[in-house]
Amino acid sequence: MERLKTNALSKSYGGTHALKDISMDIIAGEVHALCGENGAGKSTLIKILSGVERPDTGKVHWRDAPLPLGKVDAIEAHGVVAVHQEPVIFPHLNAVDNLFVGREHAMACGIWLNQASMRKQTQNILATLGEALSVTEPVGEMSLAQRQMVSMARALIHQCRILILDEPTASLSARESASLFGRINVLKEQGVGILYVSHRLEEVFKLADRVTVLRDGASVGTWAIKDLNRDTLIKHMVGREVPVAPPTSSPNVKPTKQPVIEVSALCRKGAFNDISFHIQPGEILGMSGLVGAGRSEIARALFGVDRFDSGNILYGGRTWTSLTIQDAIAHGIAMVPEDRQLQGLVLPLSVETNLLLPSLANHECFRGLDQGTMRSTAGDLVTQLGIKTESPSKPAESLSGGNQQKIVIGKWLHTHPTLLILDEPTRGVDVGAKSEVHRIIQALAAKGTAILLISSELPEILSLSDRIMVLCGGCNQGILSRQEATQEILLRRSLPTDSGRDI
Amino acid sequence: MKQRIHHILWQPETFLALLVASLFGLMGQLDPAFIQWHVQRELSTHAWELAIIAIPMTLVILTGGIDLSVGAIMSLTAITLGMLFQSGCPLPLACLAALLAGILCGALNGWFITRMQVHPLIITLATMAAYRGVAEGISRARPVSGFPSSFAWLGQGLWLGIPVAGWLFLGLLVVMLWMMHARSFGTHVYAIGLNSTATRFSGIRVDRMLLAIYTFSGGVSALAAILLVARRNTAKADMGMGMELGVITAVVIGGVSIFGGRGSLLGTCLGILLIHETREFVSWHWNRDELNLLALGALLILSVVFQKLLRHKRATP
Ligand SMILES: Nc1ncnc2c1ncn2[C@@H]1O[C@H](COP(=O)(O)OP(=O)(O)OP(=O)(O)O)[C@@H](O)[C@H]1O
Ligand SMILES: [Mg+2]
Repeated sequence: MERLKTNALSKSYGGTHALKDISMDIIAGEVHALCGENGAGKSTLIKILSGVERPDTGKVHWRDAPLPLGKVDAIEAHGVVAVHQEPVIFPHLNAVDNLFVGREHAMACGIWLNQASMRKQTQNILATLGEALSVTEPVGEMSLAQRQMVSMARALIHQCRILILDEPTASLSARESASLFGRINVLKEQGVGILYVSHRLEEVFKLADRVTVLRDGASVGTWAIKDLNRDTLIKHMVGREVPVAPPTSSPNVKPTKQPVIEVSALCRKGAFNDISFHIQPGEILGMSGLVGAGRSEIARALFGVDRFDSGNILYGGRTWTSLTIQDAIAHGIAMVPEDRQLQGLVLPLSVETNLLLPSLANHECFRGLDQGTMRSTAGDLVTQLGIKTESPSKPAESLSGGNQQKIVIGKWLHTHPTLLILDEPTRGVDVGAKSEVHRIIQALAAKGTAILLISSELPEILSLSDRIMVLCGGCNQGILSRQEATQEILLRRSLPTDSGRDI
Repeated sequence: MKQRIHHILWQPETFLALLVASLFGLMGQLDPAFIQWHVQRELSTHAWELAIIAIPMTLVILTGGIDLSVGAIMSLTAITLGMLFQSGCPLPLACLAALLAGILCGALNGWFITRMQVHPLIITLATMAAYRGVAEGISRARPVSGFPSSFAWLGQGLWLGIPVAGWLFLGLLVVMLWMMHARSFGTHVYAIGLNSTATRFSGIRVDRMLLAIYTFSGGVSALAAILLVARRNTAKADMGMGMELGVITAVVIGGVSIFGGRGSLLGTCLGILLIHETREFVSWHWNRDELNLLALGALLILSVVFQKLLRHKRATP
């Protein structure tokens, strides 16, 4: 039987034991889910399996022969291919070049590259993922989800035997996830073994045949999916009984209040069109839609990152027809951007510096930067958000994906914004921490912060938002109240209808 | 505590300091006269312009940029100073005008970089040619001299036993050290160099900071030009020729990463000391230019390779 088997893998970074003695196997033709809290070691295991990192001890066997460790190309040549948590791409190249870098199709004895065949193949693969992406646009200008798909397509053009996916759906919405699942099932039938990491447990139950749970770097066990239910799985992951109650609905806001922000007829060519809405103090406005529907673009316009062509924003007693990030921040707008590694964090700087970056100037005093209050502010945030790190002076890049996400949320919490824009705030955050983030969002709303919540996870949007705006192709498909909204309605409205909606 | 010591030991600055110390030891062995105070003080006159410009260059490189136009700004401002003086303008006013010219040149670089989004390497390569072209054009390659002797004091004189130019360098250094370590400015500079997008998303005025830093670089280049004119007692269009390479070499030897975000002013100071001492010693002892170049190249390679190893070592203790 074809299988990938790990033998007592261990890996530590300085003082942290990221992996301890992991032995597991992935059998051809199965979907094997890997679950665990943030920082449990999932990505580390994947980095070792794909050759990005070398284990301290242990071996990996593929078809009963040892796999060369620490060599990405050699491992890929064996058909073991990984898609990492943070998309690995060349931002200045287009999708075709990204897919074929290092394995270009040559013609005429290698003098020319066969552009046409490479382009064709790229389009085919992207189409099987259900996405009509431009193959000429530089990938760096695409949204995070689109980059994630290019990254995935890059893995799929290999004739892989084992495909490893590290949180592939974290930034995908329902439709893209569905096409990915379709693709996974096809591969599975072709006898490809799939290792699948996700914090969305529904997906695990839908796709997986077996589940391995990691906790603090050690393997808790492997189960057939039919022997588990949601609660037992969470219990294995966390190590104790956790009531992950669905977030309780916050009391509805009184409609008499003056809105915090009023957006009217906001347009940006090619991104969104005629967007109008308002948010009241203490209200959570959800924004739902497919990837590329223009949600992040609207958020970026509100935060002053991008300009908008027409329309205006009534905010802080002024009508803005253009604003800068500094204007936005000075008037109490904060944004958690979609891509934590690119826009949210300065990875090599410490956790503490990252948390304090927006407000560092407030810590200047006569003698210099006030280290005391800086340390205590950062320390409070680390405990409040449960950021798992050896110490706040460690670089942010040494944290696991979910913990990095918590820093991005934390860095705005202590600035007490009046409008908080959250673009996929729980991307890659584990079940326990997710409900903690939800609790924080609701607590902020209860204190009167207006919140614009963008999320591709329908249950999250449905349970948190007071009202939900659905976008499709940059157009507002209507704003629903919490009572009206259901998964079906949101999905239906977010799908493009046949009456061509082009902007 | 142990971790802290470990951390300090593996800093590139520690390594550079050791290198400087052993260099002095070696020079003392080979030629005790060389390391005497008055000799060193005498030789230091050659280094102050480079040292002064290395301070803003460190900031520029820390933000992930580069400024190739510093030498050209020196020549343009030196010529401005000389021509104004020749046409009867009072010397202090001429100096002020030179400073202003330098600030404008730097601001123009910054404007292109922040507003036009031109890569610093390209725009300063272009302005390097342009500024020097203008300088040669207006001077027509004629040097200006005959400055009053009081002006020479600026470039040659001593105050409290230390060259005046040295005091200027120290003053600038102290202010910038304070800015870098006791103000949010410093952290922001590093953050820009490491990830300018995330820094901008954190509400930091990245463009304004870059504009300020390139302007500062231009102003300081003008200051260095004034010192050079005062020291040589002439203003010529080829002044500051090749200065950018010397400065960038010193900064890079000092452990500042050319990709931005890593390094420090302290490292730069050690880098300056290292290349200055090597250069002076080689010319003092052997007086051979080719040896000098060889030594400089060797130093650069040594420093960069060691820092690479150190960084690796620090990452995996
Ligand atoms: N380069 C590194 N340097 C130091 N520590 C690291 C490094 N990479 C990972 N770690 C640590 O190893 C542990 C496991 O991290 P890993 O990224 O594997 O977690 P994960 O299970 O993928 O979590 P998430 O669900 O948040 O992505 C964490 O405690 C993390 O802080
Ligand atoms: Mg991970």
